[in-house]
Amino acid sequence: MKKGMISVLASVISILIGLLFGLLLLLAVNSSQAFPKFGEMLTAGVSEMPKLAKVLYQAAPLIMTGLAVAFAFKTGLFNIGASGQYTVGAFCALFCAIVLRMPWWACLIAAFIAGAIWGFFPGLFKALFNVNEVITSIMFNWIGMMAVNLLCMNLKQGGKLVMLPIAWVPSPIKDRTADLSYANAEAIIPRAGLDKLFNSNYMNISIFLAIVVALILWVVLNRTTFGYELKACGFNKNASTYAGINAKRNIVLSMMISGAMAGLGGGLYYLAGTASYNIQKVLLPMGFNGISVALLAMSNPIGCIFSALFISYIQVGGESLQPVFAKEMIDIIIAVIIYLSAFALLTKTILSKFIRTDKSNVNDESKAAPATAAEPPKAVPEEAAPTDGPAKSEEKEDEEK
Amino acid sequence: MSEYVIEMLNITKVFPGIKANDNITLQLKRGEVHALLGENGAGKSTLMSVLFGLYQAEEGVIKKDGEVVHINNPNDANALHIGMVHQHFKLVEIFSVLDNIILGAEPNKLGFLQKAEARKKVVALSEKYGLQVDPDAKIEDISVGMQQRVEILKMLYRDNEILIFDEPTAVLTPQEIDELMEIMRNFTKEGKSILFITHKLNEIMAVADRCTVLRKGKYIGTVDIKNTTKEELSRMMVGRDVQFEVEKKPQQPGDVVLDVQNVTVPSKLHSNNAVKDVSFQVRAGEIVCLAGIEGNGQTQFVYALTGLDKMSHGKITLLGHDISKMKIRDRSKLGMAHIPEDRHKHGLVLDFSLEQNLVLQRYWQPEFQKAGFIRSGEVRKYAEKLIAKNDIRSGQGPITTARSMSGGNQQKAIIAREIDKNPELLVAVQPTRGLDVGAIESVHKQLVAQRDAGKAVLLVSLELEEVMSVPDRILVMYEGEIVGEFNPKEVTVEELGLYMAGAKNMYRDVGAKAEEKEGNNA
Amino acid sequence: MSVLADIISATIVFAVPLLLVAMGGMFSERSGIINIALEGIMIMGALMGCLMLRWLNNAVAAGQMAAQLGVLIATLFAGVCGIAFSVLLAFASINLKADQTIGGTALNMLAPALAIVLTWVVQGQGQTTILIPDWSRITPATFGLKEGSKFFGSPVVPQDAVTLKVQNDFLQNLFFKQTYLTTLLAVLLFAAGVILLYKTKFGLRLMACGEHPQAAASVGINVFKMRWAGVLISGFLGGVGGLAFTLAAGSGFQSSVAGYGFLALAVMIFGNWKPWSILGASIFFALFKVIGAYASSIPFMPQFKGLEGVSTYLYPMLPYIITMILLILTSKKSRAPKAEGIPYDKGMR
Repeated sequence: MKKGMISVLASVISILIGLLFGLLLLLAVNSSQAFPKFGEMLTAGVSEMPKLAKVLYQAAPLIMTGLAVAFAFKTGLFNIGASGQYTVGAFCALFCAIVLRMPWWACLIAAFIAGAIWGFFPGLFKALFNVNEVITSIMFNWIGMMAVNLLCMNLKQGGKLVMLPIAWVPSPIKDRTADLSYANAEAIIPRAGLDKLFNSNYMNISIFLAIVVALILWVVLNRTTFGYELKACGFNKNASTYAGINAKRNIVLSMMISGAMAGLGGGLYYLAGTASYNIQKVLLPMGFNGISVALLAMSNPIGCIFSALFISYIQVGGESLQPVFAKEMIDIIIAVIIYLSAFALLTKTILSKFIRTDKSNVNDESKAAPATAAEPPKAVPEEAAPTDGPAKSEEKEDEEK
Repeated sequence: MSEYVIEMLNITKVFPGIKANDNITLQLKRGEVHALLGENGAGKSTLMSVLFGLYQAEEGVIKKDGEVVHINNPNDANALHIGMVHQHFKLVEIFSVLDNIILGAEPNKLGFLQKAEARKKVVALSEKYGLQVDPDAKIEDISVGMQQRVEILKMLYRDNEILIFDEPTAVLTPQEIDELMEIMRNFTKEGKSILFITHKLNEIMAVADRCTVLRKGKYIGTVDIKNTTKEELSRMMVGRDVQFEVEKKPQQPGDVVLDVQNVTVPSKLHSNNAVKDVSFQVRAGEIVCLAGIEGNGQTQFVYALTGLDKMSHGKITLLGHDISKMKIRDRSKLGMAHIPEDRHKHGLVLDFSLEQNLVLQRYWQPEFQKAGFIRSGEVRKYAEKLIAKNDIRSGQGPITTARSMSGGNQQKAIIAREIDKNPELLVAVQPTRGLDVGAIESVHKQLVAQRDAGKAVLLVSLELEEVMSVPDRILVMYEGEIVGEFNPKEVTVEELGLYMAGAKNMYRDVGAKAEEKEGNNA
Repeated sequence: MSVLADIISATIVFAVPLLLVAMGGMFSERSGIINIALEGIMIMGALMGCLMLRWLNNAVAAGQMAAQLGVLIATLFAGVCGIAFSVLLAFASINLKADQTIGGTALNMLAPALAIVLTWVVQGQGQTTILIPDWSRITPATFGLKEGSKFFGSPVVPQDAVTLKVQNDFLQNLFFKQTYLTTLLAVLLFAAGVILLYKTKFGLRLMACGEHPQAAASVGINVFKMRWAGVLISGFLGGVGGLAFTLAAGSGFQSSVAGYGFLALAVMIFGNWKPWSILGASIFFALFKVIGAYASSIPFMPQFKGLEGVSTYLYPMLPYIITMILLILTSKKSRAPKAEGIPYDKGMR
């Protein structure tokens, strides 16, 4: 419990420093507008119901891509390919919605499966050929994005470009997919009256779906043998092999689940009926923001809910910075926060020391200290002077990789 | 001029939670071989690291030729002509021999390497001291003995006068050890002084002039080798008379549990096979020991036996089932337990808690899971039981992170876990590595208890004392082959050594081959 | 013929940033630090280089050798800013022993955002593109060749830098269509890099730190210092590479280098962390990239009539797919520096 508190505290400190840095940057760019705009940014998300609706709407896919990255982290993999998996998931959801005319839940399942497939390849290449999953998944981001664009531009049914608006209404627009409201209203995620409550079309049940998925993932990771195996692989592949765990299978499965999360995120975002998929040449940022979410949450699925809400919140706030400041100010703040959380371990160590001196000997860790000389409390004789012990220089490496 | 070339006076070095060196004094005479004796964890390496500048002592002074010196890093040590052959070689595997020797002391013009110059010096040195190596060979392609020569050449290249050898013989064959002893004697004739860290008494008796003994970080004494005996050194080292005997009931072997037939395992490092055509049996109620010098195929054999690696040829039968191609988990279910050689690499998930590690081999059993969900209450109960039964000490009990436990307790946890599986076959690879004397005794008792309970035990050991005292049968492995089988009661250590060194082979004549090898070495 | 000249010159111009940045990555990783922040470093280098060009625009007259001096200044400035940015990575991963991948990812997020904000600050609200002055390119005029004078026997053709009129002269197409000073610099930097790595004591020590830092430390090498050096060199090369990419892309700087930093990482891995292999790999990738871009004007490439987006989406997939396949095929031989990614701790031996 104490460890959890310290983790949260470390994240909060990172956030505060990041925000402070953002404020200083605003001051440097335009000192007269900095304070009012900064205040607006911080409060925009709760200033009115539609804004709050937007925060929740964007948080749902963010939670999902965050979970994607976090889940892979737990297995010792860095899934930087959430963007591609998200895009492919979004496309499949839209394809099922627009072309196959399926209901929303079936479209979400399609998105889930599509993301899993797009995560499968990097996982497979890692497991079979030991190709670095970071490189592979970056390649698959581009391949996925381009393939989706090609499909959107070329899929025909009865001679009509079926993914584009022109299949449903006379429209010259060729750079985005058809609006769900006329293509297939059944595929729009139910709003369950929340749209009226929030006075915004953005609001639907997706945030609750995302939270439920996060809870399920937490349970999987922490309460099941499957999660136990995945974490064992992530921490120490050799030891998990020794214990009879199929590490290769777990790498592939982990990347598939990770991809499925991102794909589902794509479904949640585009099936809201408020956004069409834009055919564009850049990778969708939602996947990369997932990295921020996961890092800030220290890969804890429950933490992902909160960090996604936070990031969504300041992103909505960021829009109110315009036009005086670029909304990318927000990305700078987030980047600074992530940079700080990169040495979270250091922050945590400092924090726990601080807390320990505060409460002197109540801390349970300190109970270990007065041990006998033959049984030193920490692994000091091993780690600090391992030439006398059996520790090999390779072992560290094996664990870190 | 002072009689002593190096004096370390009243050295104290503290790591968080432990005094690794407590007021230790060591005086090295010019031109002597001075042994530093102590068990694992006695503080030998720490003391030498202080001398070599890798650590700084909290208290005490170091004198060179009577003058107080401050050694803050290896460069300072080098400037004082102190060199060290580390136990785990500090060699860059992808570099050539020459590059490794000159690294850190590169002859250069304006930063550009002048390798021709270096090469001449290295070739001259290796001829002078009989340390033949190919300067262009890559480290990863040469034998461990050759690598040690490179380490020695590194010191000579730097014109070091005080040479520290940190357990140099652990990885060598007896012949190579003899050669090393000869080289050391040559060095002392040249006026160089040698500090020789070891826990092997025979080597001290053979080569050292004096010996300083450490125990649990404390200075015990310094003795002249001429005036002492092995027994006395041993007493100084462990603090009491060592009981080499392990109490055992007479053996009652039962049916064959493990049957190994013609197992061959390819090597990962070179094109030869690491394990060649190995066959043997282990019966219920007996301990069979696979003995040999490190790196003679034992590790690869165990990998193949336990399923961590594939074998290219042969058949392994456990309790009548062919397990040659069986998955690790299935071997485990069939009754195999494995105390691995490297506890950090295989034995533990260091970032898991102790309780999670204790169920590493059983978390999938119905006792600990239901429909895929872990029964954490049962896990906790089980962990507490094992911790109490085996006296595994840790900061926070079951929820302690394994990483924060001491090496000895980590090993205890692994042994407890594996033995509690109640296996039909226990494969124990160097189970006492890094443990103190008391813990070693307890491990030995547990192995014997397994045997007495009618289980089969395969012990892989490098320690001759263990090899002689624990098993009912000894198999010696040399270069991937079984070269001899012995009853420990009927064989002498000397005889075993000849087999471990490849000088003898029960199954074929090796005279010709050995001579050929020596020819190659020369 | 002129298509061939185009392909060759375009291949070179795209290989240059890949080569520079992959070399940068190599120096960092051979010292033991995974540099996933190359993308961010490129962006910062490109941004600052372009701003410098923009600032110099008023100071230099077009078409003169002085213009190339301006490009040189901008390039060096890009490199220096790359170094400055890489300090953030070095500090976090070497001194604070932070997770190198996470630190690098943060920098990759920081760079484009910072670039946009700074572009706004410099150019005013909403002005997101920094245009590259015409004079940055090497043209016949750079060498004082006037229209009508001879270049290898054929008259110099007037060139409009903006429209790049199609010419029929092979040599002029090859040399003057898309040649930048950075190409020449890349050759020099590559040669210097090879010598530095293999022929100097610095290189030997750097590689030792990436393979076995404890061994390096035991012979008195300061591992921290060498790793800092490795990261800073990668910062310099990354920054220069960023500007080289932006010049090559031709349409000005829009706070992005289109994933080239990551592609350079792949090139580095495919090049097995060795300079000559990296050279080969970068030319190879650039060639496929260019083939993708020129596919519609290459007669023997299938044209997929009736499909939309062939030249924008289908062929551009080619280099990524090829990379993927090659990484799989060469994975057996791939050998990363042994100690990369592991923070060096003095106490750990």
